[in-house]
Amino acid sequence: MNTTKIYLTRRIFLRGIFLLAVSLFSGLLYAAESGTVLKADDIRREPFRDAKSVTTLAVGDAVSIIKQDGGWLQISKGKSRGWVRMLSIRRGDVRKGGTNAKGVLALTSGRAGTGKVVATTGIRGLTTEELKQAQFNEDEVKLAESYASSKVAAAQYAAQGKLVARRVDYLGVAK
Amino acid sequence: MKNMAMKNLAIVKMLGIIFFALSCGGAWAANPLQQELLKNIKQNAQEKITGKPAITREEEIAIGRQIAGNLLGAAPLVKDAKLQKYINQVGRWIADQSERPDLAWHFGVIEASDVNAFAAPGGYIFVTRGLYQTLRSEAELAGVLGHEIGHVIRQHHLKILQQSKLLDLGSQHLVKKVGGNEKVQGLIGSGAEIASRALDKDAEYEADRIAVVLSARAGYDAFGLPAVLQQLGHVAKDEGNVTLLFKTHPHPDDRLDKLGSIMDERFDKVRGKTLEKRLYRIAK
Repeated sequence: MNTTKIYLTRRIFLRGIFLLAVSLFSGLLYAAESGTVLKADDIRREPFRDAKSVTTLAVGDAVSIIKQDGGWLQISKGKSRGWVRMLSIRRGDVRKGGTNAKGVLALTSGRAGTGKVVATTGIRGLTTEELKQAQFNEDEVKLAESYASSKVAAAQYAAQGKLVARRVDYLGVAK
Repeated sequence: MKNMAMKNLAIVKMLGIIFFALSCGGAWAANPLQQELLKNIKQNAQEKITGKPAITREEEIAIGRQIAGNLLGAAPLVKDAKLQKYINQVGRWIADQSERPDLAWHFGVIEASDVNAFAAPGGYIFVTRGLYQTLRSEAELAGVLGHEIGHVIRQHHLKILQQSKLLDLGSQHLVKKVGGNEKVQGLIGSGAEIASRALDKDAEYEADRIAVVLSARAGYDAFGLPAVLQQLGHVAKDEGNVTLLFKTHPHPDDRLDKLGSIMDERFDKVRGKTLEKRLYRIAK
């Protein structure tokens, strides 16, 4: 085999890997931005209740999520683009049968850019039986209690994050 | 009106004295008969006034501490002091927006891959590493903690304990045994079993509503909890890490639906901070 041939083979091989990576990556990106309609709602021109409706969404429709602003999501569906109430949409695809993604991994694998890797081994899960059998651990409670924050320290930390307390009444039961 | 208020004040004062006497005299060590009598008086009077489970703050904390200790026996704290301090600062700020800033609130992240969070009476709240690592902003953490704070301030677990007759104040349970832990343990069943028990569905929906309100009061984006529920909604019920969560809570979609029908108009114009960057990330 001469060097040109080796070089070409390697190039094709690398290109293959590159394409594979791109398609995987875009697949992930797509997964991160997709949503499913939970509740029939309008797509509106602006993120306001009385903004003009662009089109309507039916339960189960797949949409692409562009960004979030408070309780509103900017989405697109086909050629339509606009705002919809966040609570009318569930992030992610409708679950298809046969996916092997498990638990937390399924929750996070679709999120591009967060860089989170979730350990699925080495940490135990908590079963009802384990909770039932659990033995009181005094040292661990003391440790937990040692991290308590005072009212003043908590308020200071909130102020650092520019969090301002405000009056909001409790919500009644939904009709 | 004034008369009524005075009367109430007098009752509350009297209760206060009884509580004080009880806690001073060592509620656990008093003459059993005397103790039972006082308990009954207190229970009746308090239930009439507040409609809440008749229990003192100290008892509430003692029960919560026992449950917390058992839970930590099954899943210890994540050994990251910065993380634990962080969650306490955030949690305390949110709890202080509730009507129980008097409690000694404790928050923690525990070593479990499950996606779940636990609350015990008296203000002990734990989030699993599994749930914590799905969070993307401090507002989402606020939503989760707000839900658990909701269980504490409405005493949902105490009500369960009372309904199941485990917590039968004024009965033999309290006077029978000796030794702090044992006695309280007798009240809560086996280990941290209570943590795996489902609350009433309405209690969960109520905690969700409290979570969005406390988040908003604390200055956060009120949609932190809904955002977490949206993430959970597409995990299958049978996937290992959410088994307990799904067993003990209504489906996230139902919770979103309930929140949606009530939050829509009220929170349209309520804007708040999400603080994505301030969310403490656990090192691998």
